[in-house]
Amino acid sequence: MKKQTILYILLAAVLVGGIVGYQLWNKPHQDLAAAKTDVAVDATALYNEYNTDENAANAKYLDKVVAVTGKVKDASKDADGAVKVNLDAGSEMGVVACELSPFAKHARTEFQPGEQVTFKGKCTGLNLDVVFVECVESK
Amino acid sequence: MQKIIVAFFALFLLGTTAYAQKYFTRDAKVKFSSETPMEKIEALNKSGTCVLDAATGKMEWKVLIKGFLFEKALMQEHFNENYMESSTYPNAQFKGQITNLSDINFAQDGKYNVKTAGKMTIHGVERDVNIEGTLKVSKGTLEVLSNFVVKPEDYKIAIPSLVKDNIAKEIKVVVSTTLAPLKS
Repeated sequence: MKKQTILYILLAAVLVGGIVGYQLWNKPHQDLAAAKTDVAVDATALYNEYNTDENAANAKYLDKVVAVTGKVKDASKDADGAVKVNLDAGSEMGVVACELSPFAKHARTEFQPGEQVTFKGKCTGLNLDVVFVECVESK
Repeated sequence: MQKIIVAFFALFLLGTTAYAQKYFTRDAKVKFSSETPMEKIEALNKSGTCVLDAATGKMEWKVLIKGFLFEKALMQEHFNENYMESSTYPNAQFKGQITNLSDINFAQDGKYNVKTAGKMTIHGVERDVNIEGTLKVSKGTLEVLSNFVVKPEDYKIAIPSLVKDNIAKEIKVVVSTTLAPLKS
């Protein structure tokens, strides 16, 4: 083989490697709106499962795309514009807290107490509340 | 009659102090950053919890590891899977005690320096720590701010040698929130 050909092959390999590495580095966050739901659950049932056996619930829900449905208890927007919607979980103290994803676009960010909603998101576990991050509303 | 009035006021005062003894939040912000000449990494969690008992100075903070969001998805993945092993150790917590409780008047608006001593648990490793911060009493709520440093090696968080220059030896943590009286 000619020296030139080898040089071209090497250059091409370096270029491909660089592109793959760059894309991996800048891999976008999972598109929850398009993602397939692994588990669908009612907010109250989920909260009760967590308070009955946290480890079992973690095994079932962590790192999954979970669709959680419930009634809005209250919703808030912080100084950065981040929206958090608390779903009633049939408890005085705890709720199912859903942080809207900062990585996705949302059709709306206003939620009224009492309305029924479904969010798809990632369950992060139990911290008084069951907390979801990267949520998008699911119709 | 005077005695009855005095008794009434005494009861009223007792009632108000007893009412506002505990403070709570479910929206504490916990931000951490790692800065090296190679790279700056930041992550933010907006759902930390805190319960503070003003009568005893006892406090408990807890945050879920999987709730830390990074700008880069890859970093978030590595943080959870390789460094924090968040499926095994889903949360981090601080259980402590205000050590200068007599310096703080929870009924008087103003800014107070707070010293605490307690146990921090991260990555399943519990350590004795002293953490300081400020507490601003404002119309019955408490604005809390604290900056401190966490060393990954103290909590047996292994950083692979390949990226050891990209991740700081000391991670800066900022906790900020407003605690509201807990109605019980």
